[in-house]
Amino acid sequence: MDASSFIGPFVPELLLLGAVLLVFLFDVLGIRRNEGLSTIAVAATSLALLSVLGDLGFAPLGVFATLPPALLDAAPTGAPLYAFTSLGLIFQAIFLLSALLVCLASASRPSNEKGAPIFYGLLLLATLGMLLVAVATDLIFLLLAIEVTSISTYLLVAYHRRESRSLEAAMKFFIIGALSTVLSFYGASLLFGAYDSTNLFAIGRATSTVGFPVLVLLGYGFLIAGLAFKVTLVPFHAWAVDVYDGAPSDVSAFLAGGTKKIGLFAFFLVFLGPILYIKAIGAGESPFQGGALDLGPVLTLTLAVLAVITMTVGNLLALLQKEMKRMLAYSSISQAGYMLIGVTIGTAPAITGATMQIFAHVLMKGGAFLVVAGVAALGIGPLIDDWKGLGTRRPLLGAAFALMLLSLAGVPLTVGFVSKFVLFSSAVQAQGYFVWLAVAGLLNSALSVFYYARVLKVIFFDAAPTVPVAPTAPPPAEALPAGGLGYGRAVTIGLIAVLIVAFGVYPQPVLGAIQAAAQHFITVGA
Amino acid sequence: MTALPVEGFLVLSGGLLAIGIFGLLTRRNFILILIAVEIAMNATILNFVYFAAFAPTAAGLSGQAIAVVLIGFAATEVAVGLAIVLALNRIQGTINVAQATELKE
Repeated sequence: MDASSFIGPFVPELLLLGAVLLVFLFDVLGIRRNEGLSTIAVAATSLALLSVLGDLGFAPLGVFATLPPALLDAAPTGAPLYAFTSLGLIFQAIFLLSALLVCLASASRPSNEKGAPIFYGLLLLATLGMLLVAVATDLIFLLLAIEVTSISTYLLVAYHRRESRSLEAAMKFFIIGALSTVLSFYGASLLFGAYDSTNLFAIGRATSTVGFPVLVLLGYGFLIAGLAFKVTLVPFHAWAVDVYDGAPSDVSAFLAGGTKKIGLFAFFLVFLGPILYIKAIGAGESPFQGGALDLGPVLTLTLAVLAVITMTVGNLLALLQKEMKRMLAYSSISQAGYMLIGVTIGTAPAITGATMQIFAHVLMKGGAFLVVAGVAALGIGPLIDDWKGLGTRRPLLGAAFALMLLSLAGVPLTVGFVSKFVLFSSAVQAQGYFVWLAVAGLLNSALSVFYYARVLKVIFFDAAPTVPVAPTAPPPAEALPAGGLGYGRAVTIGLIAVLIVAFGVYPQPVLGAIQAAAQHFITVGA
Repeated sequence: MTALPVEGFLVLSGGLLAIGIFGLLTRRNFILILIAVEIAMNATILNFVYFAAFAPTAAGLSGQAIAVVLIGFAATEVAVGLAIVLALNRIQGTINVAQATELKE
C-alpha cells in the first residue's frame, strides 16, 4: 500500500492530528490567545466534518470528498484493521458535530488562560480517537481508539487543576475508566484465546467449533461490563454524575454529548456481529448450538435487561436531583438506555432509531450543558432553584433551554420526538418481547416529563429573587471569573436551538442517510 | 515442551485479574490503585502471550505484537494517573482517595 492510498481515506483524522500538533506547538511557544486557538479548532473540526459529509455522498459537498468511493461499504476481504462503512462515517459526522459545537462555544472561554492550548489540543485528540472508533473492525484497534479518547478526557476533566472539584472528578473518572479498560481488554484477550483472532468479522462469523466455549461467554461478559462503564449503563453508571458535575461544563457537554457515544458504536460493532450472524444462519448451524451456550438469545436478553434498568433508574434518580448538572447527568444515563434498545433489536429500523437518537442527543444534551456553562458564567448558582426567573431575565436563553428540555422529553416538532418515534416503532415492528422495550421506553418518556416540566416551571413561572441570592453550594470553577454569556456560547446555543427545530420539522435528509447506512451495515457487517 | 494446561493458566490469569480489581476497589492510596491497575492489565497481557503460543503462526505473531502494544498502553495510562495524583497532592496535601468527598449530593 503506497502512501497516497493511505492518506486519502484518513484526511479527517490527519486534519485533526495536524491541528493537535499545531496547538501544542503554540503552547510551547507561549501563544495563548483563546480567539486564535478556538479558530484553529473550529476550522479543523469543520473541515473534517465537510470532508466526512462529502465522503458520505452529499452532492453539494462533493468537492470535499477524499475517500475513494470503492472503499465505502466494500465487502471486507481478509481480516482488516479498519473499514469505511457509511454508518461509521455518519457516526464520524455526529462526533465531529459534537466537537465542533464545543469548540465554537469555547470561544467564550477566558482569554490568555494558562494552558488554553492544552484544552483545545486534548479536545481535538479525543475527537481523533472517536473518529478512529468509527472505522474500527478489529477489537484491539477499537479498544485502543476508545482509550485515545478516554485518556484525553481524563485530563480534560482535570483541566482546572487548582480546583479540588475538578480534580476529584478526574480522579474518579480515572479509577473507573481504568477498571473499564482492564475489563474490556481482558474480555478481548479471552475472545482471542477462543477464536485465534481479534478481528470483528472473524469473531462474528466464526464457523469453526470453538475449543473453549466458556471463554467466549466470559469474554463477552467482560466486554459488556467494560463497555457498559463507557456508556454509563446502570449498574455501571455511578461515576458519570460526579464526573459531569465536577468537570468544567463545556467538557461535560463534550462528555455527555460526544465521547459517551463511542461506547454505543462499539456495542454496535462488537455485539451486532454475533447476534446477526446467529439470526441469519438459524439455530440449526449455530456454532454454539446443542449445549447450554446459545449465545445470541443470551446476549440479546442481557442487553434488553440492561436497557430497561438503565432508563428506569436514570429517570427515577433524575427526579430527585436538586442541582441542574446532576439532573442532566441522570437524564443522560436514562437516554443511554433508549439508545441501547437499538443494539438489542439489531434490525435496520432499530439501528436507524438508535443512531437518530444519538444524533439528537448530541444536540439536546450538548446544548443543555452549554447553557449550564453560560448560566454559570452569568453568576447564577448550580441549584435548579437558583435558575428562578431566568425566562424573564434572559428570555432567549430560557427559550433555547426550554426547547432542549422539550426535545429531551420527546415533544413533537423537535428532533427528540423524531428519534424516539423511529426507535420505539422499530421495537414494535420487531415483535416478541421487544414490544415491551417500546412500552418501557414510552413509560419512561412520560416519567421524564415530570422533571423537565419542573425545571420549565422554575425558569418561567417562579418569580426571580429580588436580591441575587448567594449560591448555596460551592460555585463551579467556571463561575469564578463571572463574565457575560459570551459571543461564542450565544451563537452555539442559538445554532443548536435552530437545528433541533429544523431537524424536528424536516428530518428527512438525516433520517434517509441513516436508514440507507443502517441497511448497508446490516448486510455488510453481518 | 510441556505446556501449562489451559485450566491452570486461566486460574493464574483470572487470579491476577481478581487481585488487581480487588486492589482497585479497596485501596485508599492512589499509588496503590495505580499498581492494582498494572497488575490487572498484566493479566490481560499474559493472556495474549499464552494464547499466542497455541495459535497458528500469523495469529500468534499478532498476539505477541498486541502484548507489546498493551505494555506501552498500560504505561501511558499510569503516566496520566500519576499526573492526576501530583496535582491532587499539590492542592490537598494527600493522595488518599477517601478524603475526596466534595462531589456528593
